[in-house]
Amino acid sequence: MNSYYAATLAVYAAVDIIACIALNLQFGVSGIVNFSFIVFQSIGAYTAAVLSMPPDTANGAYQVYIGGFQLPFPIPWIGGAIAGGLLAIPVGLVVLRKLRSDYQAISLLVLSVIANSVIMNARTFLNGAAGIAQVPGPFSDQVDPLSQTYQLLYVGLTIPCVLLVWLVASRIVNSPFGRSLRAMREHEVAATAIGKNPVQLKMTIFIVGGVIAGLSGAILVGYIAVWAPSEWLYPETIILFAAVIVGGRGNNVGAMLGALLVPVGFFEVTRLIPATIGGWVPPPNLIPAMEWVAIGLLIIGFLWFRPEGVRPEPRRVFGGAPVPEDLVSAGSS
Amino acid sequence: MELYVAALGFGLISVSVIAIAAVGFTMQFGITNMINLAYGEVMIVCAYVAFYVNRAGVNVWAAMIAAALAGAVLSFLLNRFLYAPFQRKGTNLIGMVIISLAASLILANILLPIVGYDTSSYQVDQGPLLRWNGLVLTTAQIAIIVVAVLLMLAIHGLLRYTRLGKAMRATAANPILARNCGIPTQRVIDMVWLLTGALCGVAGVVAGMNSENFAVASGAAYLITIIAAAVLGGAGQPYGAMIGALIIGIVTELSAAAIAPEYKEVVAFTILVLVMVLRPQGLLAKRGALAAAG
Repeated sequence: MNSYYAATLAVYAAVDIIACIALNLQFGVSGIVNFSFIVFQSIGAYTAAVLSMPPDTANGAYQVYIGGFQLPFPIPWIGGAIAGGLLAIPVGLVVLRKLRSDYQAISLLVLSVIANSVIMNARTFLNGAAGIAQVPGPFSDQVDPLSQTYQLLYVGLTIPCVLLVWLVASRIVNSPFGRSLRAMREHEVAATAIGKNPVQLKMTIFIVGGVIAGLSGAILVGYIAVWAPSEWLYPETIILFAAVIVGGRGNNVGAMLGALLVPVGFFEVTRLIPATIGGWVPPPNLIPAMEWVAIGLLIIGFLWFRPEGVRPEPRRVFGGAPVPEDLVSAGSS
Repeated sequence: MELYVAALGFGLISVSVIAIAAVGFTMQFGITNMINLAYGEVMIVCAYVAFYVNRAGVNVWAAMIAAALAGAVLSFLLNRFLYAPFQRKGTNLIGMVIISLAASLILANILLPIVGYDTSSYQVDQGPLLRWNGLVLTTAQIAIIVVAVLLMLAIHGLLRYTRLGKAMRATAANPILARNCGIPTQRVIDMVWLLTGALCGVAGVVAGMNSENFAVASGAAYLITIIAAAVLGGAGQPYGAMIGALIIGIVTELSAAAIAPEYKEVVAFTILVLVMVLRPQGLLAKRGALAAAG
C-alpha cells in the first residue's frame, strides 16, 4: 500500500466520518430523516469549488459556472460550510414546520432527486451533467498537488476538521440541548408539553447538520478536484444512512465506526474482488450493482436483527435528585 | 396556441399514466399505512417483464396483463416477507420508509445487471392518428386513456359497492376496530397489495409506452411524480390521487410547452412544495400529513 493510497483512504474516511456525524445529529439524535443529506454535502462542494476556482473564462472556457473567485485556502471550506447551513434554512422552513415525520422524509427524498435534475439540466449554472473539473485544492499553488508532501498536507488539514466536528457534536449530544433533542425524538408531544419548541429544535439541528455536511463536501471536492451530478445521486445518502444505522443511531462513536465500516469498508472490499473469478469475467456493472444490493440488505438486516447498531446509544439514566440526609434516616428508622 | 392544445393532449395521457400509478401508491399508504418508496422500482420491473414478453412477439396490450400479474405477485411478496414482518415488530413509520427505500435500491440493482443500463422501448402499433380541434392523438394513446378511465371506474366500484371495498375502507379507517368487527384484515391487506401491485404493473407499462423509452433509472422520476400527485390529493385518498394526477399531469405538460420539457419534474415538485406549505393535508384529506404519527 503506497502513501498516495493511504492518503486517499484517510481523506475519504475523514469526509465520511464528518458526514456520518452530521447525519447522526439529524437522524440518530433528533429523528429527522434527512434523505437529501447529499444535497447539503453537494452545495458545500460546489460552493468551495467556485470560491477557489478562477473565472470560467480561464482555460479556454471549456466549462461554464457562476463565480470563480480564486480565494485562498480557508475561505472555500468556510464558504462551503456556510452554504450548507444557508440551504438548510429554506428547506427546513418548508419541510420541518408542519409535516409529519414520514412526510418530511419523502419530501426530502423528492428534493434530493429534483435538485440533482435541476443542476444537471441547467448547464450554464454549474456546468450541468459534466460537472466542474480542475478544482484547485488548498495551497495547490504553493505545493505541487501531485507530490507526496501535498497528500500529507491534505490529511493534515482534514484531521483538525474531524476533531472540531467531533468536539462540536459531542458537546451538542451531551448538553441540555442534546437532551431536548432526544426528548423530541422519543416523544414530540411530551417534549412540547414540557415547554420545548420542536420546530426550533429541529431547525437548529438541521442547520448545524447542514453546516457540517457542507464542510464535508468542501473537503472532498478540494481533494478529488471534480464535482458532478453523478457524484450526488440520492442513493449516496442511503450509504450514509446505512453507516449510521450499522454504527449505532444516536451514538457519535457509532457514527464514526459506521463511516469506517460501510462507505470506507465497501471501498476497500471492492478493491479486493478479483477481475476474474475462476476464468469467469463478471460483467462490468455487476459488482457495483451487487454493492448496492449489499447496502440495502445491510440496512434491512440491521434494522431487523440489531436496530440499535454495533455501538448502541448509551442509556442515559437519571440518577435521581440527591435525597436530604434527614429523610434517609427517617426512612430507615 | 396550437402548441398548448397539443400539450393538453399529452397532458391527458400523462394524467392517465399518473392516475393509474398514484391510485395504487396512495391505496397502499391509506390502507396499510406504508409509504412504499419501492413503488417506482416495482413499476420498472413490471415494465421490463412486459418488455421481454413484448419482444417475444406478444402484443403490448397482452404483455400489460403479464406486467400486472408480475406487479401483483412482487408487491404481495414485498409486503408478506419484508414490510409486514417489520410492521408486526413495531418498527415506526420512519423505519418503514427507510426499509422501503432500501428495498427500492435492492430491486433496482438486481434488475440492472439483467437488463443493462441502456434504455428500452416497446413495439407498439400506434394506429391511425385521430384529430379533433387541434388535439392529435394516436389510437394507442386513446387506448391508454380508456384503460385509465376503466381502471378508475373499477376502483370506484370496488371501494363503493363491494364487500371487499367496504372492508378496505374499514381497515383504512381503523384496523383494530375493523378486526374486532370480524373483518379479516390480514386477507384484506393481502388483497390490497395484490390489487395495487397490479395497478403498479399496468402503470409501469403505460409509463413506458408514454415516454418513448425507459431504463432502470426512470424509477426515481416516476416515483416523484406519483408522490406529488398523491400528496397533492391528500395521501391515502384514492379520489384525491385521481384529482392530484389530473392537476399534475395537465400542469406539467403545459409547462413543458411553455418552459422546457426537462423541467417537468421541477414543476411537479414546485406544486408539491406549494401544497406542503399552504395545505399540507392535501386537497381532499381531513387528516393526512397533519395527523399524529402512528
